Amino acid sequence: MKKEPILSARNLTKTYTNGVTALKGVNLDVYPGEFLVIIGLSGSGKSTLLRCLNRLHEPTSGEIYYRQARIDTLKGRAVRNFRRKIGMIFQQFNLIPRHSVFSNVMMGRLGSTPTWRSLLGWYSAADQTQALEYLKLVGISEKAKVRADQLSGGQQQRVAIARALTQNPEILLADEPVASLDPATCHTVMDYLRKVNQTLGITIVCNLHFLSLVREYGTRVIALRGGEVVFEGSPKDITEEWFTQIYGEGAKEVHVN
Amino acid sequence: MVKERKKSMSTKPLNGKLILFDTGFFTLSAAISLYSGLLVCNALGWTQFSFEQEYAVRNMQSIALAVAFIAFCMSGLTLVFQATGRTTLGDFLFASPARKQVIADIPFFRSFWGLHLFTTLILTFIVSFEVTEVSFMELLDPDGLAGAGRLFANLAHPNFELLPTAIAEVIETIFIAFLGTILAIPIAFLVAFAAAKNIMTHPAAFGVYVVLRTALNLARSVEPLIWAIIFTVWVGVGPFAGMLALLIHSIASLTKQYSEIIEGVSEGPIEGIRSTGANTTQVLWYAVVPQVILPYIAFTIYRWDINVRMATVIGLVGGGGIGTMLIKYQGQAMWREVGCIILVIAAVVWLMDTASAYIREALK
Repeated sequence: MKKEPILSARNLTKTYTNGVTALKGVNLDVYPGEFLVIIGLSGSGKSTLLRCLNRLHEPTSGEIYYRQARIDTLKGRAVRNFRRKIGMIFQQFNLIPRHSVFSNVMMGRLGSTPTWRSLLGWYSAADQTQALEYLKLVGISEKAKVRADQLSGGQQQRVAIARALTQNPEILLADEPVASLDPATCHTVMDYLRKVNQTLGITIVCNLHFLSLVREYGTRVIALRGGEVVFEGSPKDITEEWFTQIYGEGAKEVHVN
Repeated sequence: MVKERKKSMSTKPLNGKLILFDTGFFTLSAAISLYSGLLVCNALGWTQFSFEQEYAVRNMQSIALAVAFIAFCMSGLTLVFQATGRTTLGDFLFASPARKQVIADIPFFRSFWGLHLFTTLILTFIVSFEVTEVSFMELLDPDGLAGAGRLFANLAHPNFELLPTAIAEVIETIFIAFLGTILAIPIAFLVAFAAAKNIMTHPAAFGVYVVLRTALNLARSVEPLIWAIIFTVWVGVGPFAGMLALLIHSIASLTKQYSEIIEGVSEGPIEGIRSTGANTTQVLWYAVVPQVILPYIAFTIYRWDINVRMATVIGLVGGGGIGTMLIKYQGQAMWREVGCIILVIAAVVWLMDTASAYIREALK
């Protein structure tokens, strides 16, 4: 039985103002509860695709649907309301370095808090309790009062996950979440993402570089090359042949243990 | 007509900046050459030509016409040089990276632009002696030397009876500078966002950005001394006029510096906050402000430091404080009193300078 997609893109193209075309007619369906991995070379359009999905970047043409409702035409407040349901984590974590871990996690509530209250940092008690719970979930609650820039890379990424969770999202977009982490930390962060996926039932769309990680964590894979989808299927179906097709001749697979 | 000629000689696209610059520089060179030529002729007794300012004022129209004529000729010359591929100074400054590489390989003293720049600088140097009426006779005149000696002797023996008044006045100056800076901060803080290119990306917002930047540049290009003169007429001579003058200048300067800091912030945190569904105000407050706050404080302290020095100068034209006191005693040639005032100013400026450098270092 095929489920209805929670998020889909039809014929998505994106051309930047400098003339670079990052996406050329991408079609994509994200199904509820899956751990979808997007692979491809740097510059293949992975990051652009994720940023178009939550409208951080404006697609040049094409359509995006969230639960059958078009969201590429939304404007202003409607876009922000939509974004609240889509958490995002980044390669460089994108925390606010001078703020405490707890304050960073609370920022996940910005979209649901009136502006004047959020500027003063007056979040509701329920929100604060929930933020602490998510900090516990990613195993970092004892660092709540520490400044974010005092944390290691892996810890910062876990704070970023907690911030995204505080939005109570239905989907979590992860843009190369472990690309700037060492191999050991890399697995910790990926394990937390899987935990989020399996225990909270949050759909995950994740850009990754390492095929070994893709095979271990992904439930489905999409490969991009030059802004086009060149592969779609199960992680175990990525054969040597496909690998060359995605990454080009002469590419060799690297394993992360 | 010009374009057609250009096309027939070369297929290179016209570089507007380059041509404008070269025309200007050639015109300057030509005018300087003509002027120094006249000077030489005068020195040799061939011509009797007066260079009095009065003469220049009377003949301003013909001088302007002559300059326009030279400029016209020089624009032609520029195009000829362009077409024949000479490395002019404009070429050196504005050429494409590839062309710059070629130009950089020619040694300075063997290139056309190098010789041209060198000749023009030498001629300008010579002419400037004539124009500024440099005279060693005046510098070494016995009467003048004696006067200067007397003045220095008096300055070196300051009248310390004036010290309490001078200190009171310098405190007024510091307050003028303080209020001028403090009041500018909230205004500059808010306006800076609207004057930052990376914030004003929307086409309509970009229009606001351009208008704002132009207005700020205009306000900044008017010296605080001029603002002080304007405000002494508006609100009367005194510290209030001085404070207003500094306020206007501080708003313009701080806004520019703040907005440049905003333009330098990293995009990551902005993206991070935007992805949570935050609105623009929240993004500015949580992603931009934490990144800019320390440089803001550093620049603001530096601005206060500058303002204390400026407040002194502004006092000379009636902006109150120690400057007004200084000009009063200077007018009566009471050099021993002036000496005391100068000491007080020097002490305060030195203190402010050291303190602000110290704080800024600590903030890094």
